[in-house]
Amino acid sequence: MTKLFDLVRNELAKIYVLKSTWVMYLFLVALVIFSLIMNTVTDSVDSETTYTDDWETELQEENQTLMEEIETEGEDDPFIESTNMTLIEENTYHLENDIRPYGYNAGTFVLDNLFTTSLVSLFAIIIAGGIVANEFRWGTIKQLLIRPISRSTILLSKYIAVLLFTLLTLLFLIATSVIVGLIAYGLPAINPEIIVNRPEGMASNGMLSEIFMQYGFKVLNIIVLATFGFMISSIFRSSALAIGLSMFLMFVGTTAAQALAQYAWSKYILFANTDLSVYFTPYGPIREEMTVGFSVGVIAVYMVIFIIASWAVFTKRDVA
Amino acid sequence: MSDATMKVIDLHKDIGRKQIIRNLNFEIHPGEVFGFIGPNGAGKTTTIRMMVGLIGITKGDVVIKGHSIKKEYRKAISEVGAIVENPEMYPFMTGWQNLKHFARMSNGITDERIREVIKLVGLDKAIGTKVGKYSLGMRQRLGIAQALLHSPSVLILDEPTNGLDPAGIREIRRYIRRLAVEENVSVIVSSHLLSEIELMCDRIGIIKNGKLIATNDLNEENDTDTAIVNLDVNPKEEAIKVLRTMPNIEVLETVDRLQVQLKRDDIPHLVTTMVHRDIEVYGVNVTQTTLEDRFLEMIGENVID
Repeated sequence: MTKLFDLVRNELAKIYVLKSTWVMYLFLVALVIFSLIMNTVTDSVDSETTYTDDWETELQEENQTLMEEIETEGEDDPFIESTNMTLIEENTYHLENDIRPYGYNAGTFVLDNLFTTSLVSLFAIIIAGGIVANEFRWGTIKQLLIRPISRSTILLSKYIAVLLFTLLTLLFLIATSVIVGLIAYGLPAINPEIIVNRPEGMASNGMLSEIFMQYGFKVLNIIVLATFGFMISSIFRSSALAIGLSMFLMFVGTTAAQALAQYAWSKYILFANTDLSVYFTPYGPIREEMTVGFSVGVIAVYMVIFIIASWAVFTKRDVA
Repeated sequence: MSDATMKVIDLHKDIGRKQIIRNLNFEIHPGEVFGFIGPNGAGKTTTIRMMVGLIGITKGDVVIKGHSIKKEYRKAISEVGAIVENPEMYPFMTGWQNLKHFARMSNGITDERIREVIKLVGLDKAIGTKVGKYSLGMRQRLGIAQALLHSPSVLILDEPTNGLDPAGIREIRRYIRRLAVEENVSVIVSSHLLSEIELMCDRIGIIKNGKLIATNDLNEENDTDTAIVNLDVNPKEEAIKVLRTMPNIEVLETVDRLQVQLKRDDIPHLVTTMVHRDIEVYGVNVTQTTLEDRFLEMIGENVID
């Protein structure tokens, strides 16, 4: 057990000693700042509106203004009706359920930055795709394997290192979002209730729990992709192939699954299942009969196959 | 003789239908330096890879300190330190970081031991430099340091003199002799150039086309070996007549000089016979057949690369 700890430490040391890894982290910071700039420049979020203790009156006034806007401008701009109606519904939900709104804040910023996790996917794929293949490329695989440690343990240590890298990178990203969000928007309450859209309509959830849930779904997705890259890396000893294939699947996987949704068997495609967040939005999965449990099962089966394939090839191969 | 540190027993390796290694048998004893010689492609590296478990063994076994590399891999390998092919290390890490990395993979290697090994191979000054900036000679030394960290009983060095200048080769030779004599380590060095490792070995094994075709103890006096002798005698014609009558002597050349081949043991007898027949002997010049000659003879062709 202590040996495994040392091995994981070695693997992480090899990842973090590289300058390219730190460049990845710089990119993450840059992306979060970019997101902030876009928010400010495009005026896409309303960071001005704040609410006082008298929020109920404020919301009612806001709803009235929104209604007036629909009446006066609705004929020229058909979109105003739908956007304003959504806002009115939200406000009404706040009023009816006695949930105090706080306006745009650091928490909302973190949730809006969910898209930045695709950069973490990319980096996790790069690390996972290289972690075995690079040892072959550098020629160091021979030095690595002639130690009193089984090949299975070495492979396991590399897989654990990939998982830890993914988690650390994601935590770094969230921390960056939080800090930038705090500086730009502040935080009026630690864990306010927020309004979310669920399949059954509007509902509320604690801010922290919503962040945890949304980022959790993303990290699952990332780990599936990384595991796939790890398998290709172990089997074909080529990081280019591993990174290329995983990125290809990352970009087209979900779309392809959607395109095939008319066929019943499409529900067994890995990428029809990897995004569990669809079960918590009004959109839903690609086929009606699919459930969260089903998707978790499909993911588990694929993951086991990926891991067994990596292990079987890595432990049996002649290293020349 | 003490128990063998490493026994190679009836080793075979097939890749596809090709037989790469056939029926390899030899032993290495404590404190012995064994030279594993053969032309490129003879199967040296394949054999070494089997010894350290990098590739599977088709038939036979390698037993290290009583542990089979096939069945007790971890016990067997913990007695082995090796460089297989080039001394490849992580180029983006310093020498120290590389050694620390490999030290963590074995049990109980202290920082003090790492420093001791660095001193032994003389890398003190460059240990904080990235390996990417090392010369081949420095990498070779770091490779040896890495292989010695866990104080192995067997040290396997594949082509350790490759790419080194004569001074570097002499230095490596000194480490290896010291390790064998002082630490009682069994050392296997492979090379396709006999002359480069001849001086550091106690014994050599010659491999050709996957078969061990000869082993030779370099420390034994080769009295029974044949010698080629140049004779400076007068009168020459008389001497040739005498030589032709003697058993076990072959006259090789008579035109420019008189050259004969005979057993080394018979040289004194040859001289007394000449003297008794009143032939004046001005010189007897023994040209010893070198190991290199015998090596080339055995492998049957010149080794170019």
